[in-house]
Amino acid sequence: MSRSDVLVDADWVEAHLGDPGIVLVEVDEDTSAYDKGHIRGAVKIDWKKDLQDPVRRDFIDRAGFEKLLSERGISNDDTVVLYGGNNNWFAAYAYWYFKLYGHHNVKLLDGGRKKWELDSRELVTEVPARPATDYHAQDQDATIRAFRDEVVAAIGSRNLIDVRSPDEFAGRLLAPAHLPQEQAQRGGHVPTARNVPWSKAAEEDGTFKSDDALRALYSEAGVDFGTDTIAYCRIGERSAHTWFVFHEILGHPNVKNYDGSWTEYGSLVGVPIEVGDPT
Amino acid sequence: MTDSVQAAAGGCGAPTDAPLVTSAGNQAVVQGTVTRSGSPVSTGYARLLNTSGDFVAEVPLGAGGEFQFFAAPGEWTLTVLAPGGVRAERGVTAAIGEINRVEVAV
Repeated sequence: MSRSDVLVDADWVEAHLGDPGIVLVEVDEDTSAYDKGHIRGAVKIDWKKDLQDPVRRDFIDRAGFEKLLSERGISNDDTVVLYGGNNNWFAAYAYWYFKLYGHHNVKLLDGGRKKWELDSRELVTEVPARPATDYHAQDQDATIRAFRDEVVAAIGSRNLIDVRSPDEFAGRLLAPAHLPQEQAQRGGHVPTARNVPWSKAAEEDGTFKSDDALRALYSEAGVDFGTDTIAYCRIGERSAHTWFVFHEILGHPNVKNYDGSWTEYGSLVGVPIEVGDPT
Repeated sequence: MTDSVQAAAGGCGAPTDAPLVTSAGNQAVVQGTVTRSGSPVSTGYARLLNTSGDFVAEVPLGAGGEFQFFAAPGEWTLTVLAPGGVRAERGVTAAIGEINRVEVAV
């Protein structure tokens, strides 16, 4: 994988609007953004309602993903171009999720919704009618998803990258005040984790920094590119953004996203936690 | 909450459409509006950076050009991005119990 395989820019999207075989998908937590205006032809996926199991804390299963994509009119052979707000956090999460279930042709719109808006490009409210498909997903790809025991085992031996803000890393802050249901019991970080906030990988307009700048960013933070890596944040979407940088843009093979992230780790009984700023 | 920013975009949450608060309570509120020739700029983004220049939070502008952050007390840099290459930067001091207004004309 390299940048040109996984990222498209806004000009490319404009040039391919309406092309058969290309499906634009807007992914947000706040889906009212889509309702106010979206790129012509884009369908929407709700990060929570569509992608999370309504009962257990886990993803919808393979059959559920097949049903979702079939309803959205997405075929196995389609090139899916994802974009969204929040600097593509949830679009990057969806990218990782599509890869988890084995969709081959997925790309991110570099800069997401923000760059598109700042460019004054067209947004429409018309919702496209796409005929249903018969989508077939693969079993989850365990090589890109980390679970809690693997994170504990990685302490001191693999790269752990905490991509939350410095205050969350230090344990001074658990979560934004309006999301109490996603708070962990304890603040802090996984011992030996490096703190490289996701935002350092992005330019002001939401686009990703250059390959050289990205490599320098993580090298300077002490990340050993020769070692396997696990990224985490609070609920796994900001770390999907960083997973995308490592695995898709820079092409490092052994990188996992720990989607349980701090809301799980910080609530586990008996695991080690460190607090305080990076030393 | 004694540190950092608890604005919606400061963590994993999406921006909310909550109206601007009219009373700060025990928060250090940074809020304001972005205008162009006296009219609100409703498409654009407000970003809050700490004194090191590091990103802390970002919210899309509201229909009336408004933005709001719940910050920690201290010095912040507010950056506004809007279509047409518009970029404005303002310093702002946030204090607990106060609504710290920043009016940005671009």
